[in-house]
Amino acid sequence: MVLQSIMTGLLLGGIYAAYSAGFSLIFGVMGVVNIAHGELVMLGAFISYWMFTLAHIDPFISIPFSAVSLFIIGYVIQRLIINRVVDAPPIMSYICTFGIHLIIANLALRFWTADYRSITTSYCGSNLECAGLVLPYARLATFGMAVLMVGGLYLLLSKTDIGRAIQATAQDREMARLMGVRANHVYAITFGLGAAITGVSGSLVSTYFVIYPQMGLSYTVTAFCVVVLGGMGYIPGALLGGLILGVLESLTATFWSAGMSSTLTFFVLFLMLIFRPAGITGRGIVE
Amino acid sequence: MLVSVGGVLALLLILPVFHPSGYVMRLVSTIFMWVALASCWNIMSGYTGYIDFGPVVYFGMGAYTTALLMTRAGMPFFLSIVAGGIVAVVFAVPVGIPTLRLRGAYFAIATFAFAEAMKQVALEWDRVVGVHFFEGSNGITLPIGPSHRFFYYTFWVIMTILFVITYFIERSRMGYALKAIHEAEDAAELSGVDTLRIKVTAYAISAFFIGVIGGVDAYWLTYITPNEVFSIHITIQMVIMCLLGGMGTLLGPVVGASFLTLVSEPLWAKFPYDYLIIIGVIIVVVIIALPRGIMGSVQGRKGKRRGSGA
Repeated sequence: MVLQSIMTGLLLGGIYAAYSAGFSLIFGVMGVVNIAHGELVMLGAFISYWMFTLAHIDPFISIPFSAVSLFIIGYVIQRLIINRVVDAPPIMSYICTFGIHLIIANLALRFWTADYRSITTSYCGSNLECAGLVLPYARLATFGMAVLMVGGLYLLLSKTDIGRAIQATAQDREMARLMGVRANHVYAITFGLGAAITGVSGSLVSTYFVIYPQMGLSYTVTAFCVVVLGGMGYIPGALLGGLILGVLESLTATFWSAGMSSTLTFFVLFLMLIFRPAGITGRGIVE
Repeated sequence: MLVSVGGVLALLLILPVFHPSGYVMRLVSTIFMWVALASCWNIMSGYTGYIDFGPVVYFGMGAYTTALLMTRAGMPFFLSIVAGGIVAVVFAVPVGIPTLRLRGAYFAIATFAFAEAMKQVALEWDRVVGVHFFEGSNGITLPIGPSHRFFYYTFWVIMTILFVITYFIERSRMGYALKAIHEAEDAAELSGVDTLRIKVTAYAISAFFIGVIGGVDAYWLTYITPNEVFSIHITIQMVIMCLLGGMGTLLGPVVGASFLTLVSEPLWAKFPYDYLIIIGVIIVVVIIALPRGIMGSVQGRKGKRRGSGA
């Protein structure tokens, strides 16, 4: 029972990690707390939902479509709006992204109604049973994808030219500009990348949970918690934070009450910020 | 400037004598409430630049304290709202001391987390502990309140008190300390300002009044649930009003709250479905076009007379 709960939590944590990594990336590079982050998850989930419902395309196959669409949406949002407030006091970016949250969430509500929707695939009931544990195949695959994605993002940032340009801009924008890096373009690429992996996570989320246009805010909140646990701006930290939070929530839901698990999320977040703002790894950015 | 503000306040005080319609009374009372709430947020966050993203927690606490005292203990309304303010302070001080050491995004996220945590507590307490106290999502029904006029005057009084307090804080040592924290906190600390104490004091003052206003609103609404009185939208509205009007100015919250309430009221009536989309667009456009708020931009044109409340 304990082991099952921990395993369920780990699988859940993979998803948390996947959609929080983008949040961490955007904060780490630009210092922007993106309140519209959950909306990117929602858009990714709806892309997979519609492709499945209208064209019977499996959510795992629609992943590249989510990635590309969200990259474009992210790039455009950054270019048109957020680049203009990056230099302003941070409150401007919170409020600005909150405005974007309102726009996207309510447009989605307008077009897709408030209905709860879910994807039912042919394999969604089949499980891997081993050593007395029940592990759904879909969740295992999701978990694998999530870990791959966070790892891939980490490699991209450290090994490729664009990754190095992103890191250089994050460290010292003026210096990077002198070296020929176009900061506005790099910011837009960063937001696009963050949005793309978040969109992919949205596709993964659609295989797990019910989706609806207003789901975004709670995903943003979980991302806060995951990223603070792992260390804001430190990408591998998102994986650690996600897994810890997933297990914590799963254990609370199993042994106490499902309602308390989100209360716990907030208290963990609150206490972490006070006692260890750099995250468990101690490698987060502290202002 | 003070004379004209005093004149407007006096005019508003005698407005009910002319028997305006119920709609006008409600609308103006709503504006009073938001001016008061935005002023509370301004005292703490407007002057120091510490972005409090969870002020609604004190609104909710005030609302629940008032509701519980009035329904369970039969306490009179005015005592209950003061108790609501006191409960808010009792929480604000121990919460403020650790969180106000955090800076930037961390303070914002911590206050937000605290507010959401308390909302969940109010929602889940009864089920987990096995009692009937907060009533969870069933909510609490208060006794039917008096007429609109009663709330009109109550909010008028609270708004006026807050305006006077802000006026005096701006001119006091505390006001200078708050602005110094905004400009250069470490330098202020080095010159002997007990920054943490000043911040906690401002935070507690603002929590007290938010708690009182929450109590009044609970009585006005007559039915409260955690989702309603701990709603993040209340926080966001306070923040946006201050930002629109101009943070850290005496008149900023007044202008911002009046403007946003007057704009959103007809929008909401005409486009109930697209209302939030339009508000979102307004927010984004205002942030990009008027980054210093309405009052900030007006003052900027008058030659940067910062803090004098031009």
